Amino acid sequence: MTPTRKIVLSVIAWVAIITAAHMATNVDWSVVLNDRLPESERKLNVAYIPVT
Amino acid sequence: MFQGFPEIKEALISNQMQAGFMVAPMAIALRAQGVPVKIVYLGHRYGSAVTVRKDGPVKKFADLKGKTIAIPSRFSDERLILFRALAVNGMKPEDIRMVEMAPPDVAGALAAGAIDAFSMGEPYPSQAEMAGFGRVLFHAREYWPDYISCVLVVRQDIIEKRPEAVQVLVDGIARSGLWLENPPKRLARREHAADFVGRFYFRQDPRLLKWALTKPVERVQYQPLTPLRKDFELIVRLMRETGVLDRDIAFEEYIEPRFAEGAKTQTEWAYEPGDAVAQ
Repeated sequence: MTPTRKIVLSVIAWVAIITAAHMATNVDWSVVLNDRLPESERKLNVAYIPVT
Repeated sequence: MFQGFPEIKEALISNQMQAGFMVAPMAIALRAQGVPVKIVYLGHRYGSAVTVRKDGPVKKFADLKGKTIAIPSRFSDERLILFRALAVNGMKPEDIRMVEMAPPDVAGALAAGAIDAFSMGEPYPSQAEMAGFGRVLFHAREYWPDYISCVLVVRQDIIEKRPEAVQVLVDGIARSGLWLENPPKRLARREHAADFVGRFYFRQDPRLLKWALTKPVERVQYQPLTPLRKDFELIVRLMRETGVLDRDIAFEEYIEPRFAEGAKTQTEWAYEPGDAVAQ
């Protein structure tokens, strides 16, 4: 494997790992999936602020 | 989770959120302005207080003359309670300066001396007390015996198209309120609720919510939560008198009572601290 090929594959792997980590940490998949359901089946989004 | 009521208002209007908890005057004002939302239930009763610095010069309400007081919004019960206190103490609105501030910022602002007091819902009065620099000057109920603040607001299209989903939401709040107010178990249940709500919903130190919910347990109450005509007509009158509502608005125009009626037969959650699920 040439050095250039090694660098390109390393960069691709790094980007993939960071992207996966970001999506696992920062994306609320329950919200994404809920928004894709038909309206009649969707859970209601209820807004609140941290007060009683 | 949001950090201020204006953001919740925008999220409701844009349909990003279909329901939300907001201060009652803001919900009434939105409806008066033609925004298709309605109040279906209360979030709690009481739970607001005017808080000052423990080591500061304000020892009684009259000492607030010339001082700066933070409120969550012009359209809030926390502002209206100040007007009630001003009237009782023979003072004029011009005697104090009110500034709008996001609720999570007020305790820090009081500690830093940026404001002299704040009129806010829990747990921010508790935050100032717990940290040692704040003192509750008065709780809202001292000037307003049937005080309410946050209400549950739902978009009109959801009420029409998905009433069963709204009823499930209201039933759940009713059951939670009954669970929290069960007399012999009230203290233990509030401590448990403070722990999981603090960690999983509010992202706050559970000790803070425990303080707010138990010192004393009457500080915030979760029954009765049915919207009552007399409570809201008082809010509308105070809004009119203080210049944040430009027309009279009928109770039926901003309240949808059927879900509260539907929740009247609910019983508390069958759940004790330590159970895996509530039923």
